[in-house]
Amino acid sequence: MATVAERVIAVTAQVLKVTPEEVKAEHSFTTDLGAESVQSIELVAMFEEEFGIEMDEDAALAVETVGGAVEFIANVCKEQGVDVEQ
Amino acid sequence: MRLIFVDGPSEVRRNFFPLALSRPLWELRYGMTSLAEKLLSRVNPQDVACFVPDYMADVYRTKTKWPVNDTSTLAGDDLLIVNPLVKANGFDVRPSGPSEVALNDQGHLLYARVARADLKKLSGEDIDAFLTCSQANLPNITSSFATWQYTWDLILTNAEQITADFALTGQSGIEGTVEEPTAIRGSKKDVYVAPGATVHPMVVIDAEHGPVYIDEDAEIQPFTRIEGPCYIGKKSILLGAKCREGNSIGPMCRIGGELEESIIQGYSNKYHDGFIGHSYVGEWVNLGALTTNSDLKNDYSTVSMMLDGRHPTNTGSAKVGSLIGDHTKTSIGTLFNTGSYVGAMTVVMATGKPLPKFIPSFGWFIEGIVTKGFGKRSLYTTAQVAVGRRGCQWSETEQAMWDKIFEMTAPARNEAIKKGRRTMMR
Repeated sequence: MATVAERVIAVTAQVLKVTPEEVKAEHSFTTDLGAESVQSIELVAMFEEEFGIEMDEDAALAVETVGGAVEFIANVCKEQGVDVEQ
Repeated sequence: MRLIFVDGPSEVRRNFFPLALSRPLWELRYGMTSLAEKLLSRVNPQDVACFVPDYMADVYRTKTKWPVNDTSTLAGDDLLIVNPLVKANGFDVRPSGPSEVALNDQGHLLYARVARADLKKLSGEDIDAFLTCSQANLPNITSSFATWQYTWDLILTNAEQITADFALTGQSGIEGTVEEPTAIRGSKKDVYVAPGATVHPMVVIDAEHGPVYIDEDAEIQPFTRIEGPCYIGKKSILLGAKCREGNSIGPMCRIGGELEESIIQGYSNKYHDGFIGHSYVGEWVNLGALTTNSDLKNDYSTVSMMLDGRHPTNTGSAKVGSLIGDHTKTSIGTLFNTGSYVGAMTVVMATGKPLPKFIPSFGWFIEGIVTKGFGKRSLYTTAQVAVGRRGCQWSETEQAMWDKIFEMTAPARNEAIKKGRRTMMR
């Protein structure tokens, strides 16, 4: 099974129309990867679908970087009892 | 005699969503006033009390002088308990008289008249129990008083009601300011401009086919044409509007573009061009420039509407526009299909095509699908700003009511979001 980081990068690349190689943990979704507000909503939706979790919109949309998203999602998975590869 | 309004039951309330999500049924605007005001003027009670769904009781207490959900009001006086959906026009029950419980042929309560002497026979820890006890212990009769069935019933008869309400006011003439040149067509006795209202130059008031009532402190800006029957509420502003017949515009609205046979509850903006017809718009709504609804199908067949997101209800009319709930915001260029249900607290972004006929409350319609968007807290922040701009306050009590509405409306919204996700993943 792919790790949380790999899965986050794959979803990000798909939604933002970039290659996985272009997505780095330190990248900001908006300033580095060019996510517009509508794409942020799409990213949250696709992360929820990918991991089978429910995220609080305010908290999820406050996450700025790819690395931050990996950490945030791993925590939500743990809270909601979803098994993931770290 | 005390008149008591009782809101409900829930299966009937649903027919008036999204407008009734956040207010009792009797607060719905119709003609020049509310349903409550019409019944009160028929009955003329000494005292009024009311029972509303629990989730809106705290908010409604801040908006009315009447006791709300107070069971002590069920004692100490002759009572006339009234279903607020009874049409006031034909309601000719004597306020005092022998006790009786009037039901329609579907078994729904129309009114219960309870003589003070009979109160000792009755008990009940809440209004439902009290009514059940009344039905069991007092004479029951079948009555044929007509009731409102759906929101569009109000829309479709609004023009006639404005005419009737205008006649009842007995008002006529210019008490405000009318700047020249302004053209009044028809009889001047069918026009009333209230004190403090201002009609700018280059306005046409056409009362040939019905009266026009411009209420206190309203402002009618140049190049507006108002066609009667029409009611314009206190402190509302019309900005070069094409205000066709049959409109009731509540207080503090900003109206531009074209509006026809529609009811706007109040405090809403439709500032720019765009057509809204045969629609009912709630409070604190903002319709972006060029927001337009269809109110007539290309084949002239009757319009259906989905109140629950699943099952169409035939309105029986070839002309029905949109129902738009409180605090909803639309983007520029939004196009609503004929018979659209747009929930409360929704955010709608245009797609360039007519949108789906059902957009659930608290849904963010973005890129052609319903999403969770930025969530309800973001909507509350916007609501706080919107009400603040009109000198009103957004309270914790109000937010708590909307939290309940969020829960109540979750099933339809979640289903729409799931559908959207499937579309997104294709």
